[in-house]
Amino acid sequence: MKDKKDVLQGTLALMALKTLDVLGPLHGYAIARRIEQISGDLLSVNQGTLYPVLLKLEQEGSIASEWGASENNRKARFYRLTRAGRKHLSVETRDWEETSAIIGRFFALKATDLK
Amino acid sequence: MRALRRILKRLRSWATTQQDEERLLAEIEEHLALQTEDNIRCGMSLADARRQAVLKFGAQDAVKESYRHQRGIPFLETLVRDIRYSLRRLRMTPAFTVTTILTLALGIGASTSIFTMTYAVLMKSLAVASPGELYRLGKEARCCYWGGYAQDKEFSLVSYDLYKHFRDNTSGFAELAAFQASEELFGVRRAGATKEAHSYPGEFVSGNYFKMFGIEPYTGRSLTPQDDQPGATPVAVMSYRLWQQAYGSDPSVINSVFNLNDRPFIVVGITPPSFFGDSLRTTPPDFFLPLNTEPAMEGDLYKIDNHWLDLIGRIRPGVKPASIEAQMRVELKQWLRSHWDDMSATERAKFPEQTLFLMPGGAGITSIRDQYEHWLHILIMVSAFVLLIVCANVANLMLVRGMERRRLTSLSMALGARASRLVAEAVTESILLSLIGGAVGLAVAFAATRLILHFAFPTVNGMAAVPISASPSIPVLLFAFITSTLTGLLFGIAPAWMASRADPLESLRGANRSTARFGLMPRKLLVVLQAALSLVLLSVSGLLIAALHSLENEDFGFGQDHRIVVSLNPRLAGYNFPQLTRLYQRLKDSISSIPGVSAVALCTYSPLSGKNWAGGMWIDGHPAPGPEDDNLAFWDRVTAGYFPAVGQPILKGRTISGQDTATSPHVAVINQAFAKKFFHNEDPIGKHFGQHGLGSEREYEVIGIAADARYVSRDIGMSVTPFFFLPEAQHDFLPKDAAVDANPGSHFLHDIVIVSRPGSNLSSAQLREAIASVDPDLPVISIRPMNEQVAAQFTQQRLIARLTSLLGVLSLLLASIGLYGVTAYNAARRAGEISVRVALGAHRSHIVRLVLRGGFILVFWGLFIGLPLTFAAGRFLGSQLYGVNPYNPAVTLSAVAMLALSGLAASLIPALRASLTSPLEVLRVE
Repeated sequence: MKDKKDVLQGTLALMALKTLDVLGPLHGYAIARRIEQISGDLLSVNQGTLYPVLLKLEQEGSIASEWGASENNRKARFYRLTRAGRKHLSVETRDWEETSAIIGRFFALKATDLK
Repeated sequence: MRALRRILKRLRSWATTQQDEERLLAEIEEHLALQTEDNIRCGMSLADARRQAVLKFGAQDAVKESYRHQRGIPFLETLVRDIRYSLRRLRMTPAFTVTTILTLALGIGASTSIFTMTYAVLMKSLAVASPGELYRLGKEARCCYWGGYAQDKEFSLVSYDLYKHFRDNTSGFAELAAFQASEELFGVRRAGATKEAHSYPGEFVSGNYFKMFGIEPYTGRSLTPQDDQPGATPVAVMSYRLWQQAYGSDPSVINSVFNLNDRPFIVVGITPPSFFGDSLRTTPPDFFLPLNTEPAMEGDLYKIDNHWLDLIGRIRPGVKPASIEAQMRVELKQWLRSHWDDMSATERAKFPEQTLFLMPGGAGITSIRDQYEHWLHILIMVSAFVLLIVCANVANLMLVRGMERRRLTSLSMALGARASRLVAEAVTESILLSLIGGAVGLAVAFAATRLILHFAFPTVNGMAAVPISASPSIPVLLFAFITSTLTGLLFGIAPAWMASRADPLESLRGANRSTARFGLMPRKLLVVLQAALSLVLLSVSGLLIAALHSLENEDFGFGQDHRIVVSLNPRLAGYNFPQLTRLYQRLKDSISSIPGVSAVALCTYSPLSGKNWAGGMWIDGHPAPGPEDDNLAFWDRVTAGYFPAVGQPILKGRTISGQDTATSPHVAVINQAFAKKFFHNEDPIGKHFGQHGLGSEREYEVIGIAADARYVSRDIGMSVTPFFFLPEAQHDFLPKDAAVDANPGSHFLHDIVIVSRPGSNLSSAQLREAIASVDPDLPVISIRPMNEQVAAQFTQQRLIARLTSLLGVLSLLLASIGLYGVTAYNAARRAGEISVRVALGAHRSHIVRLVLRGGFILVFWGLFIGLPLTFAAGRFLGSQLYGVNPYNPAVTLSAVAMLALSGLAASLIPALRASLTSPLEVLRVE
């Protein structure tokens, strides 16, 4: 259970970073919406879990945040990717691609391949 | 890197808790608002939109919890919360808190103060460079002179000649330094100054002394081997203390001339403030003089077999001390062999057993250590006992507290609190308490140490105090911290464990009405332990007081009333032998002319002044003593009229009088112990004896027997040592060479005994004036009544007896409080039962008996356990009791009585209170 949550948290962090990378500064709700749109089920419930993830990223220095005004003039906290975050994202992306490529090759494995 | 940054951020956000919490709330609120708007846009009703938004967000509290977890440092936060909570709880019960903290402060203060003393005396190194490299000669500190070519047990004092032999031949030492073993006073006067001479302690040291210790001078320069050559300009190094206190740190002191015993010395430097010489002494030296200036003063330096120097050396890195020791043993034998012709038959017989030992010397020569070690061990044991009692007492208080909070604990557990949290809380509280107690205890310790130092080492006017500081040092602070933390854990863990074991259901159901006396057993055990320990302490202090009492009230055999002892040293004013007899006569005449003075006499050392001369006796007509025979006797040189002045009766024969002059036959008065030891059943009058070896047996003729009187402070509590008295006017000469004065130093009489008429009041100003009228250069070292001089011999014993009784009373008080607590608590718990009994017609006295019995069973068990311990403690004290029976029934009985009485007082109060409760009220409350 715990492991699954950790994986979820890890992927959630990556998704948030990627979202910020593609769309520029966003507030928490907007990030949640984008992730929901792209990932479907992952954030349709428990959107709140995003906030501890954002906090962790901010503490690591990957993102920064400041108060600003939302599209309908509400006070909202806007998150943006920092340079360290961009680097972090590219490293993570490469890692992810490598890992998924390996995992993919394993899943594509057939009995005949090993003979 | 990222992890580090995160921790820093966490730390920062921990400090800004409030802000972050608000930020999260605002963000959640905004999130929900935006979601709601979106939902409305999708066609939901307002209420439904909000509801869906909240549902989609998920469990808010879980998010908050997880957020908080990410944000701060949970462990630290919990700790801070626990501390804050504990402080609040402690504030709510001021009586408990103050009692606990005071109890702890007393216990920790007492042990810390004893530790301060122990550390300074037993463990501290000299303030020198790398004390670990220093090694000294000799297992025990030995004072101060030793003649001849054989020393008992070990060769620990050396002559200058032997020192040079060791220094030049032992390659393992980087430096080997020698210095005087005895403490010596010098009459000091700055050249050209008008003030009268003052006496300060000084020490002859070898030229490499400061180099060996690695001591740099505070200012000026230190001594060098060039200064320590025959014929070199006499120079001296002054202590920082004297420079500061007597000369106001005057820089012109450097390179100016000081007259020491009327001989000029140039002061070339000042020692650093932390340096107090090579030994821990009650009066550290103020002057360091090169060994080669010594012949001008006394002339011990070139006597090949006069051993008066201690050795400390710094070994070369990597050299094993054991190999140096082996090498030095060989060198010693070589040196002795080279003086074979000068050795007596006895010394030759002792040659094979001559050996030496090299010991770690980082702490210097430790005569204070030898003197106080046993006492300090006793004190450490006693203070450990007190600390144990304190722990027991506080544990008791905590147990009560824990039990009073049982409902609270049960409730917390029922609501799901983990046992570990409850234990953590209780332990936090007890450690907090003990740390506060430790802090207060440090203040107590500081005050107590100052007080003990004041009593143990009374400062002599104008001289340096003993170099032990009362202020807490790092090791002392550490000790106090560790003691208090350990105490906290010790008394905190048991109640905490009991609290965590409580079954929530059980205690919630049974609260207030339970008859089960849960947890009373450990408390009773603690009280029993306390009673036992305080019984031990009480009887130990009783024994010490009894010993002190019997010491002080011993008949010393000389008169103490109306007698004053003036100490001076004619040597300090540069007198030589032919002038001395005349000087003494003039002093006598001058003092006798003061109205109210009835008798005046001088002697080398007055009774119990702490100093004596001694020698081996050769009796005419008896076989010569063998190497193993004990032929030691102590002696004194006195002027005519001495015996009536000091109040020591002559039992037989005649006294020393004016007719015993330099040219008349040499005579001696012996004491009863001397007669018994050396003449057995013979009549000693007219017999002869001597103290300068073979050929000296007819040195003195016995002319009288004086009653035994105690002169030697070392043998207090034992029988009086053999002692004899010689006339001041007569000089001893060596049997081998009739031109050499055998004991020149003994002619410098140090003490004047003055008897005043009853009712007259002699002031010290009058006495000083009378002495100054004879010679203004004669420094008076001290003026004090004889009974003060005698009392000074018991300073140590009195101090220890006082401290132990103080600690004993303290422990009794603590034990009584403990007993009171248990009895009162027990009575309160049984209030219901007692009410029923009263309601059913039980008499008040019956109730009192009931409660008293509970208390007294505990006291009884305390006695049962304590009595054997008491006897063991008496055995441990043993020799420190000076003949008082360690199983002294009077002492034991009074200790038992004191314990029983305070036990009675402690349980009578709750018993009376219990008997006065109104049954109606109690039953109504229930």
